[in-house]
Amino acid sequence: MTHAIAIRGLHYRAGRSFEIPNLDLSVPTGSIYGFLGPNGSGKTTTIRLVLGLLRPRAGDIRVLDRPMPHDAPRVLARVGYVPEQPHLDPTLTVREVLRFQGAFYPTWDHAWAEELLVAFDLDEHRLFGKLSKGQKGKVMMLLALAQRPDLLVLDEPTDGLDPVVRRDMLAALLDYVSEHGATVFISSHLVHELERMCDWIGVMDQGRLVTELPMERFKRGIKRLVVSGAPPIGDPTPFSVLSREPNGASSETWLVRGWEPEMQAFFETGGASLQRVIDLDLEEGFVELLRTFRTPRREEVR
Amino acid sequence: MFRVILYAQWKWSRLVVTLGTIAAFILPILSVQGASPLPASPMRAGEILTMVQAWGVLYPVLAAALGLLVAIATWAPDHRGRHVHALSLPLPRWRYVLLRFGAGLVLLAAPALAVLAGAVFATRFAAIPSGLQGYPVALAIRFGVAVLVAYAVFFAVSAGTTRTAGVILAAIGGVVVVQVLAGLANIHLDVLTPLQGALLLWPGPLAIFTGRWMLIDV
Repeated sequence: MTHAIAIRGLHYRAGRSFEIPNLDLSVPTGSIYGFLGPNGSGKTTTIRLVLGLLRPRAGDIRVLDRPMPHDAPRVLARVGYVPEQPHLDPTLTVREVLRFQGAFYPTWDHAWAEELLVAFDLDEHRLFGKLSKGQKGKVMMLLALAQRPDLLVLDEPTDGLDPVVRRDMLAALLDYVSEHGATVFISSHLVHELERMCDWIGVMDQGRLVTELPMERFKRGIKRLVVSGAPPIGDPTPFSVLSREPNGASSETWLVRGWEPEMQAFFETGGASLQRVIDLDLEEGFVELLRTFRTPRREEVR
Repeated sequence: MFRVILYAQWKWSRLVVTLGTIAAFILPILSVQGASPLPASPMRAGEILTMVQAWGVLYPVLAAALGLLVAIATWAPDHRGRHVHALSLPLPRWRYVLLRFGAGLVLLAAPALAVLAGAVFATRFAAIPSGLQGYPVALAIRFGVAVLVAYAVFFAVSAGTTRTAGVILAAIGGVVVVQVLAGLANIHLDVLTPLQGALLLWPGPLAIFTGRWMLIDV
């Protein structure tokens, strides 16, 4: 499998407060990779490192098979980037912003930019600084798409937008990806949005990658099990037990990862009884994953 | 690329450049206003020189102001966007800086040419007493170089972060404080004079701003 983004042993520190100690991350080529994490977890910093906007202290970053930040100009010519905050010149009109951006990208598609301008219902004569948040988001997405990129890096592109604008933007994005097979690396904390569109998921917290796997495996593998007559803690299990919480005297609720239906036999042979298997959606899985990721770290601190 | 950067920069600095260009055109004309071509108001050569010299103080002031304001306007959109857009563009950083610098220079060519036009106009229609000569081209070239120096200095300073600007200001403040403390303690230490000499006297980088700025001279 080739990777549009491959990060190995990345170390970055911003002052004393925040650190990415040792990050490995791989975004398969052609995938839509959802990059999940709470605020301040390091998503935006990682994205800026990927794009060469920040310099790492150590580690190796390759984007579209080229080293970053060394080959930044070549790589950035093939990357469409939608930042968390729209950083364009507020004194330019929408038309002028398009002209400005188009001058820098050899693959800029003027005809498609015009189509998107109409499709997004943008007033080309309005100043960028006077646009609403939703309109600015649309302009940013238009700019990223009209350069016909091989890789789209989207940093919370729909955060704070109304559902109609979100739907328009994501529809345009998915149209482009289905036609061109581009890779998408999208960060968000709108979990349900990622659940619908992503085929890979990476979860980041406190500067560390908690997990990285195909979306289906993530959703299928995390379950809440209600177990009676539970075996003692420490017994080997065919799945990962993230947490165990007692439900009164006789049963426990387990949060497990890597669950498969045939693993039910584990309980039967051990004299326990599996009463219920509860499916978790991505958001519940995400929250539980973070909760269990943080608990041992808190204990370590103590 | 250069055209779109030039246009974007024009939108940020058009007021400064327009007013600066008007001022640059009017200044040479005002400086010889007393040297009327009418025979009824002849002025002596000394009086003309005094007046031209008095007005001449304004050329370096105008050049420094233009350099400062256009340099600030040059980086303003990038500072507002915390440089994220500029850094995500697919070109080497040095090239982007050169494009920005070049666009500012093109805009500053307007006031430099306005000084030339105003100076040529003023010397053509003024009654210059014998023994004196007009130097419109030399004055315009000197003004252009002064604008370039001021722009380059302020461009470099404002290209940096707030921290860089703070370090520069702290260094200047530190020198002044040392001088004041030395004076209070009756210690014979003169830091400012050699520093001033190194900067303002030839071949110091700011020597262009000092001395007499004469449109008409002997």
